[in-house]
Amino acid sequence: MLLRNVNFHRFQCGFAPGNIPNFCTVLEHALLINIFLTVLYVSRSYSNSPLPDVQQLSSDESVSGKQVKPERKSVVPSNSRFIYPEFLPDPKIEWRNSLREKLERMDMIQRRKHIDIPEFYVGSIMAVSSSNQHAPNKATRFVGICIQRLGCGLRANFTLRNVIKHVGTEMKYQLYDPTIQKIEVLRLEKRLDDELLYLRDAPNEYSTFDENMEVEYLPEGAPVPVNPEMVKLKPRPWRARWERKDMKGLADLGLEDRFYERAKELATPWEKYDLMKQYRKTIPEEEQKEIFAEVYSELHEVEVMRKKLKRKKVFIKPTKNV
Amino acid sequence: MSKIMRSTIFDVPSSLRITFGGPMVFLSRTAHNVRAPRIKYPLWYLQRERAKDDQQLTGDNRAFVKEAVHDKFGMPAVIHGISTYDVRSPLSEDSVECTNVEWNPKLQRTGLIARKLGNYPMWLNNGKSVLTTLLQVIDNHVIKYIPPDEFNPPRKPYSCPNHKKQLGCLLVGAESADPQYFTKQYCGLFYREGMMPKKYLGRFMVSPEAALQPGTPLLASHFRPGDFIDVRGKTIDRGFQGVMKRHGFHGMPATHGVTKSHRRGGNVGHGGEKGRIFPGTKMPGHMGNRYRLHKGAEILRINHKYNVIWIKGIASPGETNSIVYLYDTILPLRKHKSPPPFPTSKVLDNDQLIDSYKEDVYKFTEQTITYEEDK
Repeated sequence: MLLRNVNFHRFQCGFAPGNIPNFCTVLEHALLINIFLTVLYVSRSYSNSPLPDVQQLSSDESVSGKQVKPERKSVVPSNSRFIYPEFLPDPKIEWRNSLREKLERMDMIQRRKHIDIPEFYVGSIMAVSSSNQHAPNKATRFVGICIQRLGCGLRANFTLRNVIKHVGTEMKYQLYDPTIQKIEVLRLEKRLDDELLYLRDAPNEYSTFDENMEVEYLPEGAPVPVNPEMVKLKPRPWRARWERKDMKGLADLGLEDRFYERAKELATPWEKYDLMKQYRKTIPEEEQKEIFAEVYSELHEVEVMRKKLKRKKVFIKPTKNV
Repeated sequence: MSKIMRSTIFDVPSSLRITFGGPMVFLSRTAHNVRAPRIKYPLWYLQRERAKDDQQLTGDNRAFVKEAVHDKFGMPAVIHGISTYDVRSPLSEDSVECTNVEWNPKLQRTGLIARKLGNYPMWLNNGKSVLTTLLQVIDNHVIKYIPPDEFNPPRKPYSCPNHKKQLGCLLVGAESADPQYFTKQYCGLFYREGMMPKKYLGRFMVSPEAALQPGTPLLASHFRPGDFIDVRGKTIDRGFQGVMKRHGFHGMPATHGVTKSHRRGGNVGHGGEKGRIFPGTKMPGHMGNRYRLHKGAEILRINHKYNVIWIKGIASPGETNSIVYLYDTILPLRKHKSPPPFPTSKVLDNDQLIDSYKEDVYKFTEQTITYEEDK
């Protein structure tokens, strides 16, 4: 992945082609790459072009890929890592073991054959039915907005938030918990942030959703819409210092200047240029491809099953309206 | 000498053996109140690692040496998910010696050498989540059996001087490796048995009835789901640590006039006649890097294809990818209730059985858990 990024930037910065072989010999040392790329990034930032983060880089890769070598197109869709993020292992090197990750993936696929785990993102509105020994019908259903999605492998979990009887309520579910009977996505959409924990400090109307909400279907192949809703928080005190978190979905916080000054002091805007840090925090793209190539055929089967079911539902819907 | 030494040093050929006049006792699996870990040399009386010298071989000669190794021992192969060599030991043909001895609770079986793969959650049939640790039994073979009369380790435990010689010593090796990278003496340990040198060795005290022929493969099916095992490993080395991390002290307040003592332990002694620090007082010092035993861990699931054992809990010592030793538990109430595979399990020919589970563990191939309505 690093090497590809380098190619990409070489292309962007207009290096003379004659220099490239010499440069490649230097590439042996990751440290040098780091330093060199940091310089490149800084030089790019002067041209006021938006900085690509790691996720964008790979989508741009198709552009750079043509420059490097014509690759055989793989059947695995490139957005697999957004749809199935929990299939990528924890990048912490001390905890990695290829066999454990493989066994974990096998178990996950086995579970997915029995329950439909749809594509969802933070900001989607979901309904989860799960077995509950203490509930009257031995099952409960909870509707809410997904405010957090964490973990990888069988530990993957997500948190739903809703306001029930004027009380903010959150439920944390393990994605592969065998007591979960059904996961529905009522409205598939994204929000401006990757974590919506600030809804806890917002007025209740921002996280109130109807429990009897009906499923809203998107047309086949449509991109996932981004809801640009800005959240206006209640006055302080808050659960976190949101002015320091650089949240995009927050409206004006209405704080004194000193808060913003302090936030500016503590900000670490240089971290996004630290490529090695990004590299250590993510799974390299070659490895991602390997992982998804291994599990894709079985995931695809499950997906086809899901689509069949979905088509049935779509067919039923107009009769209901009549 | 510390007990760590005792439990890591194995028997040596009689020519090298240092003999003491003292009586012999069997090893203790865990060490308490030992001194801080330090570098111990020689760990093995037979030095294992060879100095890295460039033998100035040509490419052809290198290839020839490699070929000779493969000719003698077998070709590289992936067996049970581990890259190893397809060893053709003549002794492994009729591996398990047919001892028609019935298992009884007093007999001690051999243990296994495993690698810790990490943790992940599993669920029980009642919907409860349990964290499990995965241990892979890595290409284990019996190397040597030393009967109780001949077993005379260079260092003996002194805790039990009147112990009778009852247990023999079974040397087990894990992970075959290229003999080029080890010393001649070390390879000689395996040579007689026609085995490849092993990267890791373990010494297990066994009853003479549970002795095994050298070359016998040991598999994860040596244990069964529902059994309890002891896991011995080296804890994560955390270096010199203060009392808050090492012993879980609470430290002192952040304010209220406290200066420079927020993480200190406070008083360690008394006054008057007792005006000294008592031995064993909890103080800062080296933490980790010691052998510790996790007793009575329950086996929830076994994968026979990859020889992986899932145990309940995440308390087994060591980092991910470190080596641990597995034994039948010594806790009296958790010992085998029914006869286990004795002296060890046989190699199964059919590959049908991949996973075996304890009864109350949820299998991911099963339907979603639902509760029945009570009337």
